[in-house]
Amino acid sequence: MISVISLFDDLADGVYTLAFRLLRDRHLAEDAVQETFLAILRGRAPYRGDGPLAAWVYRIGYRQTIAIGRRRRDIATETEELARLDDRTSPPADAAALERELARRLDTAINGLNPTLRAAFVLRDIEELSTREVAEILELSESAVKMRLARARAELREQLEGYLSEAHV
Amino acid sequence: MKLTCDQLEHVLSELLDGESDEALEAAAGSHLATCDACRVVVENTGHLRRASREYGRIRLPDEARDRIRQALTSDE
Repeated sequence: MISVISLFDDLADGVYTLAFRLLRDRHLAEDAVQETFLAILRGRAPYRGDGPLAAWVYRIGYRQTIAIGRRRRDIATETEELARLDDRTSPPADAAALERELARRLDTAINGLNPTLRAAFVLRDIEELSTREVAEILELSESAVKMRLARARAELREQLEGYLSEAHV
Repeated sequence: MKLTCDQLEHVLSELLDGESDEALEAAAGSHLATCDACRVVVENTGHLRRASREYGRIRLPDEARDRIRQALTSDE
């Protein structure tokens, strides 16, 4: 039997990252996390054993995030949300100034992506799911995911030009 | 197989994600051996992926973590 608390402990940050990156609102993202794990707990989206558990959780998280986004269009401004990003996992407080600047610019650049590109990028390059898993979560073909990833990476590379040297990463 | 710069950029994600075949990897290697501009693009994309893994994740605030965990426990 699946322990929902154990899943929550393992995947809460990942689902929160996806929800926050898409909704750009801390409270809505927290709601998405809660709705995701309550849906699992209440058996509203049973696991069929047809893929990794994590991908199944992200898929429910993505659906909850989209549903919340549709219900609530009055989200906070990007500037307000960027100011709240002190809850990030990294960089640590003692990170070099260049690394903090790279992290800040990466946030801004990710937020500037079209949401359809952003979802694919967050799941593949931040959460490190496979292309196939991302395709299942977003209900896209693998070739569509690859195309979105290529566009997202090209846009981010352009936005972060000058900050992506070996010394910064 | 020979690749142009545009073709290399088109297949770059597949190459970096390890989702390309040997022939494509060999062709990309040959192109990169003689093209400084594409080498920079490949290196920067690699750096972008590492930075995304390192800095892209956002931690659920502790107050929310405790509240949601409590809701799950009481509902369980």
